[in-house]
Amino acid sequence: MIWIDGHLVSKGPGGVYGERMLRGCRVWAPKRSKLAALYHLGTELDLGPDHRVLYLGAANGTTVSHVADYVEVVYAVEVAPRPMQDLLVVGGSRKNIIPILADAGRPEVYRPLVEEVDLLYQDVASPRQVSILFANSCFLKDGGTAVLMLKPRSIDVTRPPEDVFREAQAEIEDGGFRILDRVRLSPYYPDHIAFLCRKD
Amino acid sequence: MSGEPSYSTMESYWFGDVEGHACEPAPGDPGLLAERIELLAGSGDTRIPDWRIAVRCGAVRDRAEYLERLRDAAFILAERNLGQILQADHSGLIQMVRMLDQLDEVINLLTERAVEWHRATRPGFSRKRTIPTGRSLIALIRQDADDALAGLLEEIERLRDRRSLLMEQVSRRAEEVLPNCSALAGGLVAARLAAEAGGIRELAVMPAPSLQVLGAKTALFSHLTTGTPPPKHGIIYQHGRVHGARRENRGRVARTLSAKLAIAARIDYYRKSADGEFLLNAAEAVRKAGRKE
Repeated sequence: MIWIDGHLVSKGPGGVYGERMLRGCRVWAPKRSKLAALYHLGTELDLGPDHRVLYLGAANGTTVSHVADYVEVVYAVEVAPRPMQDLLVVGGSRKNIIPILADAGRPEVYRPLVEEVDLLYQDVASPRQVSILFANSCFLKDGGTAVLMLKPRSIDVTRPPEDVFREAQAEIEDGGFRILDRVRLSPYYPDHIAFLCRKD
Repeated sequence: MSGEPSYSTMESYWFGDVEGHACEPAPGDPGLLAERIELLAGSGDTRIPDWRIAVRCGAVRDRAEYLERLRDAAFILAERNLGQILQADHSGLIQMVRMLDQLDEVINLLTERAVEWHRATRPGFSRKRTIPTGRSLIALIRQDADDALAGLLEEIERLRDRRSLLMEQVSRRAEEVLPNCSALAGGLVAARLAAEAGGIRELAVMPAPSLQVLGAKTALFSHLTTGTPPPKHGIIYQHGRVHGARRENRGRVARTLSAKLAIAARIDYYRKSADGEFLLNAAEAVRKAGRKE
């Protein structure tokens, strides 16, 4: 990962969403992106130039654009039409974003397009986050990493986040994933937690 | 999946069909590829593609070309699906209604502020004495407003004209997209119902009683939580037959009208054209409901 004076940056054509530039690099701010927050808080997760990424919950393409600066190709899945319009603009100026308008809970729809990937990244606001991870694990290479940005508020607002985390962790482990690391995203994203897992 | 893929039966990929060692590359046009991907997705049983098979197949030269072709096809597919969704939504109409409501809010706020301003500079001006509202109120203030205020009043007037224009446009657009609902309840009411329901599809799948109280959210929830009398009508109150009915008949008219509107919304969504016979009968039923003692 590239750091300049304590700022995480990525190398690519700027002006995607009004991001700040630093010595010709695009500043990847932790307040704008959970993945950037994860890097700021410290993680072993690496993005390499030959990596293939399946990105679920691509939204407006803010984080996607930075990930695309680092890796070979990003398969960007988003279900909502409005953000997809933005994502198509972001993808228009980059050759390595493959936009997919589909529900991440129904991977059979995009199964014909997506190859096996090194990183399965998931940031969807759904109460079924863990089962979405399982449904998409067929795309993950053996030894590949899955990152799950868990939002306890979209799983169940009425329960304490701690309980939701614990339950999700047990569920992930029961489903055949080994949890490598769990990182709380506070102070950037209170009540969010990032799970790094590997398929065993 | 690793190592050599097996070639036992025919396997279809977005870039071509593979059978044993034979392979038939798919036509390279991105539009056709997009269609092919959609077909494959619908067939359910597909394999995860591997670029090396595509190269061996002769569909692409190398990895770079694989990604380029896939990207172009995926873009077309996403744009096509996006267009379909946005059109099916008729989100144009709904945005128009929201803009109309927002304009009302803004005009009222600005008028209110202008009156306050005027009052501060003209001690003799009292709203109590000079009752007019809306357009005539503005006209009245304008007679002896100072320059700064007069200029703003002019803008408010212009906004009002815009609003009337937009109202006609909403009505006309609703008559196109919701021909049956519009014929029954008027274009504006039909458009408002669709906007409140969240879309034309949403309106079409709505049960009549929900449609009846659409737009009466506060009254409905206060009924559900504290047991106040249930609302008789929401947006459909704006229909002449409902608000023109005698008080004791209003509930019945609202019920009949919403029942007919629910059917009309379904015809609008699925058949997309006006049904004259249905409309005649429906209008008659609504009329009858208002006449009963």
